[in-house]
Amino acid sequence: MVENRPFLTLLSHLIMIAGVAIVALPVWIAFVISTMDATDLLGGVAPLWPGDQFLENYATILFQGEQASSAPPVLLMMTNSLIMALGIAIGKIVISIISAYAIVYFRFPFRMFFFWMIFMTLMLPVEVRIMPTFKVIADLNMLNSYAGLTIPLIASATATFLFRQFFLTVPEELLEAARIDGAGPVKFFIDILLPLSRTNIAALFVILFIYGWNQYLWPLIVTTEDSYYTVVMGVQRMVAVPDADPIWHYVMTTALLGMLPPALVVLFMQKLFVKGLVEQEK
Amino acid sequence: MATIKIDGLKKRYANGFEAIHGIDLDVADGELVVIVGPSGCGKSTLLRMVAGLETITEGTLSIDGTVVNDHEPGQRDIAMVFQNYALYPHMSVFNNMAYGLRNRGVGREEIKRKVADVAAILELGDLLDRKPAQLSGGQRQRVAMGRAIVRDPKVFLFDEPLSNLDAKLRVQMRIEIKRLQRRLGTTSLYVTHDQVEAMTLADRLVVMNAGRPEQIGTPMDIYTNPASMFVAGFIGSPAMNFLALERMEGGRLRLPGSEAMLAEDDGSNGAPVLGIRPEHMRTVGTAADADIVLSVDAIEPLGADTLVYGRALGQEGEIVLRLGGSHSIGEGDNLPVAFDRNHLHFFDRANGRRADVRT
Ligand SMILES: Nc1ncnc2c1ncn2[C@@H]1O[C@H](COP(=O)(O)OP(=O)(O)OP(=O)(O)O)[C@@H](O)[C@H]1O
Ligand SMILES: [Mg+2]
Repeated sequence: MVENRPFLTLLSHLIMIAGVAIVALPVWIAFVISTMDATDLLGGVAPLWPGDQFLENYATILFQGEQASSAPPVLLMMTNSLIMALGIAIGKIVISIISAYAIVYFRFPFRMFFFWMIFMTLMLPVEVRIMPTFKVIADLNMLNSYAGLTIPLIASATATFLFRQFFLTVPEELLEAARIDGAGPVKFFIDILLPLSRTNIAALFVILFIYGWNQYLWPLIVTTEDSYYTVVMGVQRMVAVPDADPIWHYVMTTALLGMLPPALVVLFMQKLFVKGLVEQEK
Repeated sequence: MATIKIDGLKKRYANGFEAIHGIDLDVADGELVVIVGPSGCGKSTLLRMVAGLETITEGTLSIDGTVVNDHEPGQRDIAMVFQNYALYPHMSVFNNMAYGLRNRGVGREEIKRKVADVAAILELGDLLDRKPAQLSGGQRQRVAMGRAIVRDPKVFLFDEPLSNLDAKLRVQMRIEIKRLQRRLGTTSLYVTHDQVEAMTLADRLVVMNAGRPEQIGTPMDIYTNPASMFVAGFIGSPAMNFLALERMEGGRLRLPGSEAMLAEDDGSNGAPVLGIRPEHMRTVGTAADADIVLSVDAIEPLGADTLVYGRALGQEGEIVLRLGGSHSIGEGDNLPVAFDRNHLHFFDRANGRRADVRT
């Protein structure tokens, strides 16, 4: 709105500040708790100002892990999460951009049949097919491996569909001009189509990275060795310790650390991400 | 330098639609042949078959004596300028022009030199770093031209390259294309539906109608000797007037309501029609000297010329008359008009072809 009404401006700012507070306050409290030690928290009231245990807590959690639930060091879990999230995001993008390229630009038998097959997987996220998928992974000896963590989550209809829609909007003359310029199918894909999809790829990467990072159920099922735990599982394990109270300042430290990479990804890719969502460069 | 030989070319699309029913055409080295015709007549289809973007259903296409029916577009050594330019949006002007050269393995230094040369010819020197989105329509058009020229191909193909420009720029670029084509001496096929563009650019003109070439010839040849009513009506602006004739005894033909006999035939023409261009009619003093009396219903003063629209007794269609200079003719006037006897055309409306008559 381009109106200039002080009251409206004030009101909209108040609403936005309230919104920010609702989101930010819990994060702040988590941060405050992550800087305390156990005795500070005995009162049962969450303090609002950071304590002096910041370095100790973070160092312990990152490099040693929480002893009570015998969780591995968070650094290891974060590395696992990172490998899984990157594997899922990159794998999904690579597979779906290539299959979208095939479906849009090549005429082969059963083209539409394959397209609808891919499309149907949209209705089958891993949670729905978890038993058969687990069986397959187990039979292939892929339990407790990065491959087992990522591959079942990579098959993706959404991204294929998105790239297909984008490719359909790329003018056909571009392909024709490239053919006349002597570019074959691979050259056209690499030199023309990939650069044009840049913003789409970035937007998808952000969404898929967060999707991969936040996976909970699947890693819980396929990993039994500590060394393959992901951070999202780790937090849960620390909360659900048997016969003891959770050590809240370690839990919060882990939670905050676990929130960091997705936030960083959004932060750094924000420009491209927004561009990919709202405009298309053509 | 190259020749093109098109031999019995036909195109049937996958849905069974036959867009080109067979065309023969020889294009000489360095010649600019313009293909003109109404929308949907198959101009683009023909051009795209030459480019290799559409498969050839029947017939052969040779460039420089080699049959290229089965060659990929990239192997035919042609360059094409598209109606919407089809510049690569993510590449700078320089890279747009360099891309085809790179794919052919031309060295870096040589690419730089070639692009710089062409950019100088087309006055694109200051724009080499820009993206297509940062250019005006006219500049994009020049880049598209540059991309074609820089490869120094055997053949240029143009598919309505000027139709996205405004009227003034179109005239300017038209002259520039002609000049460039002369200078480079590259064999060219040029598709347009604008008959002025066609007339001014062409060494030779192919007038197409519904997938068939109606007439092939030099622009003046087609203007003075149109082979059919379609060609006569399509080439020339305003279009040729067609007037129904009556056949008297002895096969003599005259305009209804007029005494003057214009020609005679042997009666084999079904429905004889007189064709006369607007510029081949003039006003005369009295109705006695006139071929028709035009009851004027509209006047368009163009400055150098005046167009007079009206109707004549016994004629269904509107008649247009082009007079040099400006005139004080008013709407509703009855204007006696005489025809230039040297520029009468006779057609048979039954088949649309030029009629066989004696004058
Ligand atoms: N892929 C296709 N499949 C079926 N029919 C087609 C296809 N492409 C074109 N046609 C038909 O072929 C005919 C000729 O098309 P073409 O594009 O050559 O016309 P054109 O003369 O270039 O017209 P315009 O001046 O409008 O560009 C048209 O009737 C069109 O509908
Ligand atoms: Mg066309």
